[in-house]
Amino acid sequence: MAEKITAYRFDRLDQTLSQLNKEDCAIIAGGTDVMVLHKSRRGVPPKIPKPIVFIDHLTELKQVYHLYKDLHIGACCTYSELLEHPIIPVALKNAIKSIAAPAIRNRGTLGGNICNASPAGDTLPLLYVYNAKLLLRSVNGERIVAINDFIQGPRRVQRDPNELVTEIILPSVLEEAAHVVFEKVGNRNADAIAKVGFAGYIRINEARIEDARFAFGAVGPTMVRSLNIEKKLVGKTIPLASSDIAEIVADFDKIIKPIDDQRSTAVYRKTVALNLLRYFLNSKQYQTK
Amino acid sequence: MSLKDISTSVPKKDHKGKVSGQLPYISDVKVENMVYGVLVRSPIAYGKIKSIQLPTLPEGYEAVGAEHISGPNYVKIIQEDQPIFANEWVNYIGEPIFMLVGKDLNILYSLLDEVKIDFEEHQAVYTLDEAIQQKSASGITMATYEFGESLETIAAIELGAHQIIEEEYDTGYQEHVYLEPQGMLAIYKEDEIVVQGSMQCLYYIKNALISALDCGADDVRVVQSPTGGGFGGKEEFPSMMACHVAVAAKAVKKSVMLVFDRSEDMVVTTKRHPAKLNYRTALDKEGNILSMCVDIYLDGGANAGLSQVVLQRALINSAGVYNIPHFHAKGYVLKTNTVPNGAFRGFGAPQSFAGIESHIGHLSKLGNFDPLEYKRKYLVKQGDPTITKGIFRDPILVEDMIEDLLNASQYKTKKAEFQRNNPKNQRYKKGVGTSLFLHGCGFTGSGERDHIKATVKLVKSKDDRVSLKISNSDMGQGIYTTLSKIVAKELDLPYERVLYPDPDTKEVPDSGPTVASRTTMIVGKLLERAAKKLKAQWQSGVDQEVFEHYVHREMIPWDEKTFTGDAYPAYSWGVNIVEVEVDTLTGNIKLEKVYGNYEVGKVIDERIMKGQIDGGLAQGLAYGYLEKMTSKQGRIQQKSISDYGPPTAMDVVSIDSKVFDNPYADGPYGAKGAGELTLIGGAPAVQAAIEDALQTSFQQIPITPEVIIESLWRKEGEKG
Amino acid sequence: MIKFTLNGRIVETDAPPTARLLDLIRDEFELIGTKEGCGEGECGACSVFVNNLLQNSCLIPIGAIAGADIQTIEGIMETEQFKLLDESYSNAGGVQCGYCIPGMIMASAALLSNNPHPSEAEIRDGISGNLCRCTGYNMIVDAINLAAKKGDGLWQKK
Repeated sequence: MAEKITAYRFDRLDQTLSQLNKEDCAIIAGGTDVMVLHKSRRGVPPKIPKPIVFIDHLTELKQVYHLYKDLHIGACCTYSELLEHPIIPVALKNAIKSIAAPAIRNRGTLGGNICNASPAGDTLPLLYVYNAKLLLRSVNGERIVAINDFIQGPRRVQRDPNELVTEIILPSVLEEAAHVVFEKVGNRNADAIAKVGFAGYIRINEARIEDARFAFGAVGPTMVRSLNIEKKLVGKTIPLASSDIAEIVADFDKIIKPIDDQRSTAVYRKTVALNLLRYFLNSKQYQTK
Repeated sequence: MSLKDISTSVPKKDHKGKVSGQLPYISDVKVENMVYGVLVRSPIAYGKIKSIQLPTLPEGYEAVGAEHISGPNYVKIIQEDQPIFANEWVNYIGEPIFMLVGKDLNILYSLLDEVKIDFEEHQAVYTLDEAIQQKSASGITMATYEFGESLETIAAIELGAHQIIEEEYDTGYQEHVYLEPQGMLAIYKEDEIVVQGSMQCLYYIKNALISALDCGADDVRVVQSPTGGGFGGKEEFPSMMACHVAVAAKAVKKSVMLVFDRSEDMVVTTKRHPAKLNYRTALDKEGNILSMCVDIYLDGGANAGLSQVVLQRALINSAGVYNIPHFHAKGYVLKTNTVPNGAFRGFGAPQSFAGIESHIGHLSKLGNFDPLEYKRKYLVKQGDPTITKGIFRDPILVEDMIEDLLNASQYKTKKAEFQRNNPKNQRYKKGVGTSLFLHGCGFTGSGERDHIKATVKLVKSKDDRVSLKISNSDMGQGIYTTLSKIVAKELDLPYERVLYPDPDTKEVPDSGPTVASRTTMIVGKLLERAAKKLKAQWQSGVDQEVFEHYVHREMIPWDEKTFTGDAYPAYSWGVNIVEVEVDTLTGNIKLEKVYGNYEVGKVIDERIMKGQIDGGLAQGLAYGYLEKMTSKQGRIQQKSISDYGPPTAMDVVSIDSKVFDNPYADGPYGAKGAGELTLIGGAPAVQAAIEDALQTSFQQIPITPEVIIESLWRKEGEKG
Repeated sequence: MIKFTLNGRIVETDAPPTARLLDLIRDEFELIGTKEGCGEGECGACSVFVNNLLQNSCLIPIGAIAGADIQTIEGIMETEQFKLLDESYSNAGGVQCGYCIPGMIMASAALLSNNPHPSEAEIRDGISGNLCRCTGYNMIVDAINLAAKKGDGLWQKK
């Protein structure tokens, strides 16, 4: 009856990587997504189609540190660990606080949230505007890939079977005095899956915009971000003219194409996404900086 | 502990077992020789079964279906239209066709995947709107009632009216989300089948089993397990599960356990009826109401179930707490090929109150009245007739309750403050809303006298402990505690010496189902009388038993055909005031303050009453803005708790509430019903508050962020 | 063979590594205080402590907890903290149907152990993953408040 299930739980990262080099495995970090994705019905273990590698205990994947101006976050840091860590930026903590509830935050990991590549992934809009990069390691070495290249579609990521995401790198995040806003719109105040996610990032120097970034979650197969639209704002003085704001909003109107599902409607998602963008661009907060 | 004032709280009888988790709910139970059952369900909404192909079943695994039912193949409720196992036609997605039983759930689930059924699909009716269009077609209208002022008279009034206002109002599904999913176990014995599980109505189940198994009353026994929430969801639905496990247990001669997964529970169990309510009201120049016609359509789903009784309550409450001149109402239960809808706390009343409170609120705006002042003009008074030509006999304290709540909430100050400040805040707008409501306690009409005929029994043992022998379930509402208190106080016995074991039909007479806010008022009163009787004949150190039977107090007799008479023996009352903040960028609602004043005769336990207020209001408020369930092509779309979205601790706020004393002669210590009342005012108050914040009108609940954003977008469009 | 500590006792199991901790606790070790309400981490009825942290046992494959310290409601039942929560829940009227309560007690204990004097907002966040359909939460919030007030010194950060 019950087929034999193979699972590995090595003490060290190198052992884990060498196993991944031999065999295509399902990787379980906290497991909070995987266990639901492959859930069977009551009383029966989930059906996971590959051998399993558990990684959430690996200390190599739980480090948080500065390197130059960058912040490095171990992929298997749980949300709770990040909430308690002094060098995690406040905006990221706010995003993490909006995730599920304490028991999930004690188990779910940042790396897991990224590799799950849900269109509604809670931390993703923020990681996109931080220009997050992922460090992937395999027995052959390591490579760094930008998050928007890594995530290719719902539950689809650019990870080779022998690779593991080991770190999330937020470049220059500790140095820049940027104004960052994150908004998660869910159907209720906890334990909700985002209907719309928005992250806005703006850096001003002497009343001129040096950098502006926007990312939208749950309004498409992956996060919506556009460097072309963002570029239009660089060099503009604040407060922005209402025609500039209208133009940016109109540009995003063209590329945000959400769907109807059991949680919300396309019209709602689009309207709210643009509302949040418009509000951010009008916001007095960053203009006083 | 002896009880001075009955209302003073005592520790709950079942506290210890619940707080430690050691009280076994049905899914915690294992018995010898037990197998599991899983149901093969219809994947289509409407059609005929052509053939069924079973996989080869391993040894010890069997299929149980209609051919194993000794009695008629329907679940005995009211009508005979709900098959135990659908073997010919299927009428909704998820309808049980047969059951696979065996020891290992893993194997059962893989067998389920291998079952092949061929159907001849027929055109289904998916929505209430479709059903309304086809309501004259055969089989669509499952029940209908009409009553009130003659339509000729109303037509004449409308001719002379200044204006006629028509509104169409929609209410959505509501899912119970009792925390314990449905579960039922049939224990197989040579001489009897014992059915044990999560339930509200032991004798509904017992009667359904006697019919299905075609057996004598002694051949089946029903035992209530600790029940993890009911809210009406475990009123009639468990009868079907009980038939499934009992038929299977008899067929395979083993004990059979059936426990639902959450998603299965969300998709296949009964829900609150979605409704459409149409209002047509004639007004004079000053905005006074001259006449009103209400049409109510309930989406019954695929079977009649209890829908006709739900419709009765919806209709009886269709004028709210108001004395409306020249009132006429008509209602229908319509069949759709969707999951059957059924009992849910409030039982038709929440739809009607949401509708009438909304309509009266909108009428008040037309005449530029403050909504609450307008409502008070029409408020019923003691001695007024009900819309079914009954009488509001007892004192009505609603005016006092309103005054008190206006002060407590500083309603007028707040309202003015919000109106002043809202234009200054671009993103967030605040509003305040009220609702006035009642709940008719007990069964509609003559149900207690004609159908239930409740009997209670008290058993005293030699050690002078007294046990309550009644068929009512504690599903969390606290009757183990409250009913024990009534008996303890009447007998002047320490509360600890009064026992209330889990009901078992072998031990307890039929004191009726645990529904309709009847338990404290009706069963409690019978227990009070039984205790008086026992006290009169008390002999220490001796086994004694007393029985007490329901006696009907004749009022204006209820006639279901003409829909006239006293629909209820008594009414409980409530007033809510709710403040919200609306995020105009996202449409999200934040509850800021919630107030409630209630009158339930006399409170039997203050803490338990507060639990009913807070829990009922949380459900009622969420019904108005948060909980959203939809069906698409006959398929329920929200299959998980988070997609459906019942409130978390972060969605509710503390509630300021007060309960007014107004003892009712036929209730124990003056108590009336309380459990359902508390839900009813939530949705209409939250709607009114959202409307106040946004200075707009809505014609539906739930008012989700999607509804709000669409409304704001339309308003923006109108401005140009 | 997976080995871990369950309520202070070292235990072993032959169950597959994908088996849910919840099923193992209930079926193999016959501890019924941990309940299943949703199986998807959305209701908190199955809350346990994993190395002193509140987690949903329905989402934990047992292969992930080799060597871990697991505590269920049965494991904390004899503690002073439990007794105080028991009394506070009774006095505040926090228990109705009871199905959410063992999980709610675990969440309450976890919260107070981290934060002995939580604000109302912190209490609501602390139990935000534990669904209760009966009480509307307020009397549970009161119970936790009561336990915080009475338990001065009892709740210490682990």
